[in-house]
Order: sequence, then C-alpha cells, then structure tokens
Amino acid sequence: MHHIYCPYCEETREEEEYSYTGEAHIERPKDPAAISDEAWADYLFFRSNPRGIHHEMWYHAAGCRRYFNVTRNTQSYQIHETYKMGELPTITAASLDQAAPQGDAS
Amino acid sequence: MTNSTSTQATDIMESPLHNHVAHTNADNAGVVMSEDKFRGHLNLRGNPQDADFMAAVASVLSVPLPTAPNTSARAGDTVAYWLCPNEWLLIVASGTQGQVENALRQAVADKGGNQHIAVTDVSSAQTLVNLSGSGVEQLLQKSTVYDCHEANFPAGKVVQTTFAKTGTTICKLADGSVDLVIRRSFSDYFFLWLQDASEEYGLHIA
Repeated sequence: MHHIYCPYCEETREEEEYSYTGEAHIERPKDPAAISDEAWADYLFFRSNPRGIHHEMWYHAAGCRRYFNVTRNTQSYQIHETYKMGELPTITAASLDQAAPQGDAS
Repeated sequence: MTNSTSTQATDIMESPLHNHVAHTNADNAGVVMSEDKFRGHLNLRGNPQDADFMAAVASVLSVPLPTAPNTSARAGDTVAYWLCPNEWLLIVASGTQGQVENALRQAVADKGGNQHIAVTDVSSAQTLVNLSGSGVEQLLQKSTVYDCHEANFPAGKVVQTTFAKTGTTICKLADGSVDLVIRRSFSDYFFLWLQDASEEYGLHIA
C-alpha cells in the first residue's frame, strides 16, 4: 500500500482513500473545430505510457474529494511528489536526468 | 384510539439507526454507541479567501469557519467541520437547519449577492453517531485506515476517511470519544460492523 500526501488535506493518507484518474497536464484544444481529426483524436484518446517518471492525476475519493497531481515512477512505483491542480511539477524526467547525467539506472 | 395532543414530527420520524436502539446491551461495555438523532446537517461551499463570505457566515453561526485542514470548531449545539478548502459540514440543533440555511443565504446576499456559494441540507442523508468507552481506540484501529493514535489525532481534529470501507467523517472530541458522520444508507451495515468489531469489549447502546 502507498502512503500518499494529499496537498489539500496536507496529510499523508492510505492509498485506499484515493483513486487513480489518468494522465495529468492534458490541455483541451482551445478551438476543437480548427484542428485536424488526428489532433483531436490524439487529445481525446491517446495517452503517453512512459517507463519511468509519469505525471498523473489522483482523486482523494474518501477524503476531501479533490483532484491533485502526482509524479510517480511507473517502474518502481516511487512517488516523487504531489502537487495541487494548476501547479507544475518540480521533479520531471529531465530534472532527474540532470541530477544523474551518467545515465545511472538508480 | 385517538391522541388529543398533537404528534410531534420527531415522534413519528425514524432515525437511521432506529431499529438498532437497545439491540445489544452488555454490562461494563467497552464501547458505548449513542446516536445524536435528527441533527441539522448542512453542507456549505464558498470561497474562504472572500472576506465578505467569511463575514456573512460568521454573522449567522456562533462558530468561525475553520480554514486549516482537518480542523473543526464547535460552540454549544453548532459544529463546523472542515471538509476541503472550500467546503464545510455544519451540524446544527435539530429542526433549525431550515432557518440556518435561509439565514446563510440572506447574509451572503446582504454582503453583495454575487458570490458563488452553495448551502445544501443533507440532514436526511446522514446521521451523527458518538462512540465512547475504553475499547473505542482499538475499535477504530480495526475499522479505519486512518492513524487514530492521539499523537496524530488530537481532540478537535476531523478527518474524512473510510470506516469499514464506507466513507465516514470522524471527529475526536475533548472527552476522548469520537463523533462519526455516517450515511443513512450504510447505517445497517455500520451497525452490523460495530456489533461484530466490538464483541470482545461489549457494546452498549445509550
């Protein structure tokens, strides 16, 4: 079981209280009519499935019933950080690569 | 058979745990359950950064709205629970929820009237249950995923979590007992769980 920090409750709670709700930071096209079917389908259906750092949304279903963002490693399940909706992650795949430029697998 | 006195609404109303009153009454029970029936439950939503909204609510309620996460405020029969940054549960004296609801709407309208707020009467959807006794701490450890040790769960703290996998709002009181807000639709399930989980401590329905 994960212990996940809810940025709204400001507490670490059990995974049982949460549910996973998909990839974060997906922006709806400003003018859907102006873009191609391919671009619209890409927005609607296609999600990245990275091995490693993934930014995703979680829902505090049994708690404050708020959505928030989680940066999680899909390989190790390690949660690097959680942050509120509208905020940007401080830890990304690029920032971790910079910290370990030799391509260290750890 | 006729009754000359008028029947009060509460005489014919059945609380969610109505059928379980005096169901189990152990001697020297380690867990005492009492249902605080027919309290007025109001769900309030508004922007805590809006000084007008906070002032309007403060003018109606005898308690200030708690703005720190997982906190509560109480004065007499009125309790305000923090639910999320812009949502509170107000528990008021039985029968006054309609007046409080109207007073809140009026007070907010008087302060400008263009704020997005919501006041919802949820009294019939849920009920307030108090659990006390020496076995309560262990009972909570069996029932909820939340860490209810007093270091993590001091008096006045309120958390929404799961109790036997059902959504519950738990508040620790100054006397060491806990108040649970449970759903009406889960009340039978809640009671059966409670009966089972409290078997070794003994259960008394107050």
